[in-house]
Amino acid sequence: MTAVDSPAARVRRIRGAVSAGWRAFVRRRTAVFFTFFFPAILVIIFGALVRTSSGSGGLFAEPAGYYVPGYLATVVLFTPLSRMSSEVARHREGNRFEKLATTPLGRTEWLLAQTIVNAVIITIAAALILVLVVALTGATVALSPLLLVYVLVGVVGFCGLGAALGSYTESQDGAVAASNAIGLPVLFLSATFVNPSQLPAWFLPLVDLSPLSYFARGVRAATYPAADYGPVLGFDPVIGNLLVLTGASLVLFWIGARSIPQTES
Amino acid sequence: MNPVVVAEDVAKRYGETVALDGASLSIDAGEVFALIGPNGAGKTTLVRALTGTVSPDSGSVSVLGTAPADVDASRLGVLPQSFSPPDRLSARELLAYYASLYPESRDPDTVLAEVGLADSAETWYENLSGGQQRRACVGSTLLNDPDVLVLDEPTTGIDPAGRRTIHRLIEDLAADGTTVLLTTHDMAEAERLADRVGLLADGTVLDVGSPAALVDRHAGSDRLVVDLAETETDTESPMTAADLVATARETLPNRIERDRSRLVVHDVDPTDIGSVADDLSTAGIEYTGLRWTEPGLEAVYYALADAETDAVTGGPESVAGEASVTSNPPISDVGGGRP
Repeated sequence: MTAVDSPAARVRRIRGAVSAGWRAFVRRRTAVFFTFFFPAILVIIFGALVRTSSGSGGLFAEPAGYYVPGYLATVVLFTPLSRMSSEVARHREGNRFEKLATTPLGRTEWLLAQTIVNAVIITIAAALILVLVVALTGATVALSPLLLVYVLVGVVGFCGLGAALGSYTESQDGAVAASNAIGLPVLFLSATFVNPSQLPAWFLPLVDLSPLSYFARGVRAATYPAADYGPVLGFDPVIGNLLVLTGASLVLFWIGARSIPQTES
Repeated sequence: MNPVVVAEDVAKRYGETVALDGASLSIDAGEVFALIGPNGAGKTTLVRALTGTVSPDSGSVSVLGTAPADVDASRLGVLPQSFSPPDRLSARELLAYYASLYPESRDPDTVLAEVGLADSAETWYENLSGGQQRRACVGSTLLNDPDVLVLDEPTTGIDPAGRRTIHRLIEDLAADGTTVLLTTHDMAEAERLADRVGLLADGTVLDVGSPAALVDRHAGSDRLVVDLAETETDTESPMTAADLVATARETLPNRIERDRSRLVVHDVDPTDIGSVADDLSTAGIEYTGLRWTEPGLEAVYYALADAETDAVTGGPESVAGEASVTSNPPISDVGGGRP
């Protein structure tokens, strides 16, 4: 389908889809609760109950500030993966994409609208995490405007990945299972909670393939003064990691948008 | 007339399953066209091919003079089968959402009133009844004031009052020049709304025509159904079934068939019912009721769909193009009783 298009019409479409998506989210109280409860409970468990034990070796051997990117990564990775994959699956099951394919709203616009909704939700959750981490662990966090940029760029990429997962799984249940199966290893093997020095050398190239690694390293470089990262792409690690993450996120978003079904085979 | 929806020799397979096998149809501007056929006949696949959400393996489709992928979406309204929109939006929010997708759109409240949901505007979609939900979905297709409206089973699950609302809506749209393609399993709906009807079976459009023309071509004649008295259907009765039909055939010039406990007398004009009853009585055939039936689209449906199935399966022995007796609902009961 085509449409006689103008920027105003495009903004109107996206705004309409954002409004509908936001309402649909906030009216699912269980989803709202667990979206914020999940990262909070992680901070409580690992930050307050397990506690870090600096220099003891093993997990959580680094100072509390080291793990801030990990806690943020839980919402930046998991929330888009699970929400987008199940949302796409729900749209498929309800023939909503078949309907949308006959309207002027394009796949990329739809995904952008959903990404905006996720970005708002995840920004709020990330702020909550920062407050909890500082309050419960006493971590020192250097706040930077780039922190917000990292969160938003990460959301864009993982919304794309979630959309792709939802497009290729059979049902909502399958989408959630797939997002967990992919999300958990990515989360723990992307320089978040596990220091790469604890991983076998042969595995390290895989760490470098994960976009979340660049999120974690960049956020750590920005918020954790003790982080000692070298230049990335010839740039300061905060900027260099952001550039790599941006590139990866754009690719993932494009893949996600292309994956959304507009026609059957 | 200028055809605005055209399918020519469209074929589509899903693995070993043939969904469409050379389906063709043409719908003129301002026409209401109903596509009928059994489940699995290919109706939804043909609709999807016409709306660009299925790519045919072969053949061609065009809408408003162009390929579906190139149609200006603002000129098309589509209600998919089994469509389930976001369920935690109110009816008004839902229509406002779909309205926002078009550069210019109608007032959602006006459309809500048209589909009879003005009083439920603030109710979440998931809390609407099944019929109200379907009406909200129909409303979502009207927001852009489409030139071509495609409705895949628009009245499924809707109660009679809601169905009447949708029917009137479609009639009003047609009167204003909107081209409407609808699929339905409700023959009365097709007969009431459609200028022309296409019957699809096994992926092929078997015939297209006005409801009256299809009935003339395929449904057979008006007939009188004679409900036989028990003594006539008793296996101990001295008059066997064969005797009964033979006696009736000797008495009446019409074509006569026996269907379980009934005799079916074909080509009976309503004004001749009395004389047929007298002749049956004279022949000693006892009956408990007479019903005159006029075949409709349902008879066409059975005649064509059964013939197509029989052609594929090689059975049964009924003559193609002749409607089953039991498929004809009684149109008028002319009374009866023992003669």
